Amino acid sequence: MLPTYCPSCQSQLKVKCLKCESCQTEVSGLYDLPTLALLSSENQQFILRFVINSGSLKEMASELKLSYPTVRNMLNEIINKIKVYEK
Amino acid sequence: MKSKDIFSLMVNPFSRIAGWQAFGLGLAIVIVTGFIGTFSNVAFDGVIDMHLTQNLTFVHSFKFLAIDIVCLVLVMTITGFIISKGFRIIDILGTMTLAKAPYLILAIAGYFTVSPDIKEVMKNPFIVFQSVSFIILTLLSIPVTIWGITLFHNALKTSCDVKGGKLVIAFIVALLVSEIISKTLIYKLM
Repeated sequence: MLPTYCPSCQSQLKVKCLKCESCQTEVSGLYDLPTLALLSSENQQFILRFVINSGSLKEMASELKLSYPTVRNMLNEIINKIKVYEK
Repeated sequence: MKSKDIFSLMVNPFSRIAGWQAFGLGLAIVIVTGFIGTFSNVAFDGVIDMHLTQNLTFVHSFKFLAIDIVCLVLVMTITGFIISKGFRIIDILGTMTLAKAPYLILAIAGYFTVSPDIKEVMKNPFIVFQSVSFIILTLLSIPVTIWGITLFHNALKTSCDVKGGKLVIAFIVALLVSEIISKTLIYKLM
C-alpha cells in the first residue's frame, strides 16, 4: 500500500522522485498523488469492483453479499471522501 | 458465524437484506404474527404497541398490523424525503416491514399467557401480579420493543444514508408521529 500521509505530522505526502527500472533514469519534482491513491485500500478495491461490474450496484450487492442500500451508502461515502480531497 | 456477527445481524439485518427481499420476508413474518396473535389474543394496536385482548378476530388482528405498517412506511418515507438526498421507497417499505419481525415473539409468548380478568383488574389493579405468565409477557415486551425500535432506526439509517443528530431527531419525531397516527386510525376505524 502506497503511503499517502506523513508518519510524523500526518500531512498529505507528495511524490518527489520517480525512477525507470530499465535505464535507471530518475525524474525528480514535486507531484501531487492521484486522488484515487489517497483512498484506503478497501475503498480502492471497491472502486475496482464497481468498474468491473460496469457500475451496477445491484451486481456489486450480489457479489459482496450485501444489500443494495448498504452498497450505495458505501459508494456515497467514497464520493464524499473524493469531494473533500478535490477541494 | 461469530456471536458478534450474529448480534450485528440481529440489530441490523438491513446491511444484508433490503428492498423486495426484505419486504417478502417481513410480510411473511407479519402474516404469521397476525395468525398467532389472533389465537393468542395479542393485538398490535400501534406501531410499537402490543396489548392482550379478548375475542380478537382475524380481521381486527390483520387490520391493526396493516395500519401499523402503512403508517410507519408513509411517515418514514416522508421523513426520508426531508432528510435524505436520495433513497428507494422499496427499501423503506422492505426494511420497515422486516423491522416488525420481533413482535412475532410477543404473539407466541401471548399464547402461553393467562390474561387477568379486566373487571377484576379494574377493581384491584394489583391482581395482575398473581399471573406469573402475564408478568413474564410484560417483562418480555420491554426488550422486544427496544429491539423493534432499534430495527426501525437502522432501517431508516440504511435506507436513507443519514447519520448523526439529524438521523436521531428525525427518527424520534417520525416514530412518535407514526405511533400517534396509527393509534388514532385504529381508534377511529375500529
